[in-house]
Amino acid sequence: MLGGFDCVRPRSVDEACRFLSGTSGARVLAGGTDLLVEIRNRLRSPELLVDIKPIEELAQLQLDGPQLVVGASVPLNRLAEYRAVRQSLPALADSALSIGTYQLRNRATLIGNVCNASPAADSAPILLVCGAELSVASTDGWRKVPISALFTGVKRTCLAPGEIVTAIRIPVPEEATRTAFLKQQRIRGHDLAVVNVAGSYAPASKTLMVSVGSCAPTPVLLEPVDTDGNSLDSLTSHVVELAEAATSPISDVRASAEYRRAVLPVLLRRLLDQLLEGGVGS
Amino acid sequence: MTAELRYVGKSVSRDDAVDKVTGAARYTHDLALPGMLHAAVLTSPHASAKIVKIDSSAAAEKPGVRAILTGDGLCYRLGLYMQDKCILARDVVRYQGEPVVAVAADTLDTAREACRLVEVEYEPLDPILDPRDALEENSPLVHPDLHTYEHMKGVFFPRAHSNVAHHQKVRKGDFDDAFASAAVKLKAEFYNPPVQHVPMETHAAIAQVLPGDRAEIWTSSQSPYTVRHLMSVAFGLPHASLRVHVPYVGGGFGGKAGLHLEPLAYVLSKATDGRPVKIVATREEEFNTLPSRQGLHSAVEIGADKNGGIVALKATYIWDAGAYADYGVNIGRAAAYAGAGPYVVPNCWIDSFVVYTNKIFGTAYRGFGHLEVLWGIERAIDRMARKLDMNPVEFRRMNLLREGEITITGEPFTSGHGSPVECLDAVAKAVEWGTPSEPPSEPYRVRGKGIAMLHKAPAMPTYTSCAAVIKLDEDGAADVLVSGVDYGQGTYTVLKQIAAEELKIPIDKVHVTWECDTAFSPYDWQTVASRFAYMGGNAVIEAAADCLQQIRDVAAQAFDVTPTEIVCEDSAAFVTGAPDRRIPYPQLALGYTFENGNSIGGPIIGHGRYIATGLTHLDPQTGQGLPAQYWTYGAHAVEVEVDTQTGEIEILNIVTAIDAGKVLNPKLCIGQVVGGVVQGLGSALWEGFRFDKNGRFLNPAFVDYKIPTAKDIPRRTEQILIENPQPDGPYGARGIAEHPMISVPSAIGNALFDALGVEFNTLPLDYERILLRIREKSEGA
Amino acid sequence: MHEISLTVNGHHERATVPASMTLLELVRERLHLTGTKEGCGIGECGACTVLLDGLPVTACLVLAVEADGCDIRTIEGEAHSGKLSVLQLAFIDAGAVQCGFCTPGMIMSARALLERTPDPSDDEIVEAIAGNLCRCTGYEAILAAIRLAAERLQGRESYEADRVLVEGDEASLAKEGGGR
Repeated sequence: MLGGFDCVRPRSVDEACRFLSGTSGARVLAGGTDLLVEIRNRLRSPELLVDIKPIEELAQLQLDGPQLVVGASVPLNRLAEYRAVRQSLPALADSALSIGTYQLRNRATLIGNVCNASPAADSAPILLVCGAELSVASTDGWRKVPISALFTGVKRTCLAPGEIVTAIRIPVPEEATRTAFLKQQRIRGHDLAVVNVAGSYAPASKTLMVSVGSCAPTPVLLEPVDTDGNSLDSLTSHVVELAEAATSPISDVRASAEYRRAVLPVLLRRLLDQLLEGGVGS
Repeated sequence: MTAELRYVGKSVSRDDAVDKVTGAARYTHDLALPGMLHAAVLTSPHASAKIVKIDSSAAAEKPGVRAILTGDGLCYRLGLYMQDKCILARDVVRYQGEPVVAVAADTLDTAREACRLVEVEYEPLDPILDPRDALEENSPLVHPDLHTYEHMKGVFFPRAHSNVAHHQKVRKGDFDDAFASAAVKLKAEFYNPPVQHVPMETHAAIAQVLPGDRAEIWTSSQSPYTVRHLMSVAFGLPHASLRVHVPYVGGGFGGKAGLHLEPLAYVLSKATDGRPVKIVATREEEFNTLPSRQGLHSAVEIGADKNGGIVALKATYIWDAGAYADYGVNIGRAAAYAGAGPYVVPNCWIDSFVVYTNKIFGTAYRGFGHLEVLWGIERAIDRMARKLDMNPVEFRRMNLLREGEITITGEPFTSGHGSPVECLDAVAKAVEWGTPSEPPSEPYRVRGKGIAMLHKAPAMPTYTSCAAVIKLDEDGAADVLVSGVDYGQGTYTVLKQIAAEELKIPIDKVHVTWECDTAFSPYDWQTVASRFAYMGGNAVIEAAADCLQQIRDVAAQAFDVTPTEIVCEDSAAFVTGAPDRRIPYPQLALGYTFENGNSIGGPIIGHGRYIATGLTHLDPQTGQGLPAQYWTYGAHAVEVEVDTQTGEIEILNIVTAIDAGKVLNPKLCIGQVVGGVVQGLGSALWEGFRFDKNGRFLNPAFVDYKIPTAKDIPRRTEQILIENPQPDGPYGARGIAEHPMISVPSAIGNALFDALGVEFNTLPLDYERILLRIREKSEGA
Repeated sequence: MHEISLTVNGHHERATVPASMTLLELVRERLHLTGTKEGCGIGECGACTVLLDGLPVTACLVLAVEADGCDIRTIEGEAHSGKLSVLQLAFIDAGAVQCGFCTPGMIMSARALLERTPDPSDDEIVEAIAGNLCRCTGYEAILAAIRLAAERLQGRESYEADRVLVEGDEASLAKEGGGR
């Protein structure tokens, strides 16, 4: 047995919220691939797990006008295989597919990856770039949290106890906008990120958005960059400068700060190559 | 052996595969006995500490807890070559992860919870973490009582009042003189970190003490007889009172060669009045508590004449044995006698020190020190070639052992050894040595090629032996009993092929009994050292011959002829020249009955054995002697591609040539080679234990200890199996099991120099190390 | 305690389980199906791969209660009426089995792959088993086995090898269809 917890399987968001606020030691169980490992390793000892998978509305995955709506219980494989995602937001699919193994992705969810709030969360950079918004429910009602406000520290979010993220709404970029995601691992097999980056380039507005993960206590969204009139080289230098100012890579068991600092500009250059492939402003 | 072979040399499929693909194969992990208890251990958080007090009162009160043991009550010392280990830590802990308390309880959860309730008070001491520090005069001692430990005398020489568990020397010629006058000299230092075997099935054992001081043990082990013997010695019990079963084993790679969890399961069973007790290592315990492959610091000096002939080689090997040195001492010994590589070295000086530190202890691991040693030697050889402005292949070819040459321990090299030169030439050709690689697809990617030799002999006692029994069934089928263990390498299939070939019966009528049971299966030393196919094969050949002799004797009586007039062929015995005067085996298998009812003969049971011959101890001062039953040589050539901006390395192609003597089963042999190469890749590119400054293990899980996945294998591999026969091997075969792993890191290290112009002396060659060295070099330029 | 009911290898099973029991524990200890193995307990090695409603998952990270009402397939359900499946046979023929501990998980991952993509590309085969660690084979023979099974199921066998058939092999190959 993994621990001393009980489990409930509510059928509605309201019921889930009541369970979550009713017990101080209650946690949401979606994919379980982070939570159950933490329980096994005795990093967390919740009394109650609230399994949200039976709640139908949390399984939604659809295009709602200009937004992609992903429910809290949508596993990563299902997300990555959704045609609309592959077509209009390939970087999201790439991010999802870079997480864990095929088996893991049949359980782990996008929102779980976000709420786990690891600085290295692979889904975070592209969601930051796109300006995603989380729908959050509690016994007090509903609120929306822009993802830029979500991450407050290493594995910490602005969510209050008793709150549950029910869906994430991701503005789908315009057709001409390119998105990309790159991740540096230690091995080609499944691995956490040593450095990860995502970006988008909208030719219409000539705006470049870049986000960097694994180099600070939280994933970081850089300020938007106007590409107008600038060469790829100078844009790259500028983005690298912004990134270095906004991040503070550390040495840990995975990699040294030196390696992270060495790889970050490389990934950023390659990211920009991919995004601006057709040439700046074309 | 000029006649066409029916089975030997063919890619016969494994019988055991059926059990494995259906899930029917039961491993120790899967076994359960009535009334069985489950055990858990509490391990030390400190690398070095005095155990001040253990309070298990809260744990004892927990319902379902049946026994709690600490080292205090267990004054046994265990070990095969060096008896330095306790079952649970006594008085002090010597590595972070060392078991201190063990609990047996009704359920595993209860046992684990109980462990958490035990309070242990420690007085932490300063750990000794670097074996080079441990060698210093005034170093604190990991084993202050080293001089009182039993050990294999005449073979191992622990140094009293030091951290040196063993010091092996090779002294040949006059190194100092030859090196001083050498035209070209090279000195270099190298490092291998400790790594883990990572068998997919972690260590597991079940023990049940029986009335009358007997016990039955089930264990995921490579060596049932070693388990039995060491338990017998440790607990003072006659061998026959201990019965050891080995069911299917989920990988061993040397890590399951000795005694591991069995004594603990045994004492827990004793403490619970004979309940069966099962203990299974978690993956974290597999990394952090169970043994590793020793780390190694090496210093190599080579002197050559201006024509490229090696005149002198000196190597100092400092083995990081960790807290206990049982197998470590034998690895240190093997490293010395093999420690100059497969070359002619007229003046040689080797010191191999096996040194205690406060870290996880090392044990046997596929390659037994040779991967670690050849990392240094083959890298140094390449560097020396460049210093001489010689092609690394030419430099090697010039200096490799050949017929007529003598090894560094005074062993003559004969044609029966196989041909290192052929292996070298085969891989050089296959990888188009000398032809630059195709240009990579991106300007920031570079390619390079590298080569390395490998060699190994079984590192085993001079009296190592093996036996086989073959008994015939009513229907003339044959059951083969051995107690070497097939833990994936496929030897049972090979023995089946040999038995069928020798007995002249169809192969589907031969069964090698899967589970080893020391009550029934005849003795085998250990399934290590790449010797089971060789020794087991020879034992099976002799056992088959014994069966045939018994068959001939009975048939001769039946036909009233002499046994020499009887031929055995196609499952029958018949009179030469009169094939209609024949008796099919089923009519002889349990005895032969004449028409009138009179019976002769009896159940046909053949036995065979094989003992190592001609091995001698090594002179303690000079290392001279004959340590090797046979040597197996080989080479790898590799082509790599590096992303110079991220340090990512990919293996484009790795070609491995091994002189196998005789390939008994091509499919299985290739399986061993590919598997060994990929395991070697792990050591080369990703694997290594990390410790903090207090000696705490930092990466005891797959999250941060990476082994190759299906995405990480080379783009292409090639296996070249050369067959220069081993004269005394079964059908000319020699062992190849460990060899495919051995020089993979060396070849890659050499290829990286070719690609980048950067010397790598430390493993693993992970992306970070590669990138940071590239940057270092370009900044220095 | 929770009452759950689920289908395992086509059989209806009921159990009363604590919330914190994993599906792996349920399968191995309650149902005594020990073919599914524990290799790490944290979802990294794939040895515990089973099919849950047709999708491969690591059973060590699924609670038994989460499997209530689900359809579970383990390695024990792969063979039919005593005959090996084409996939199992391909593993044997391609030399993809050494110690065998990773084999059940590998076969379940491969089974799921062939069901969702009957004619997979090499990359798809690698991706399907990249979450199954093997220490013995170096993966080449396993990839070849899955390729071989796909070829046979598509009716395009293209594999040559010395073989010594165990009695019954030909029969099960013919029965599955697509083989020669």
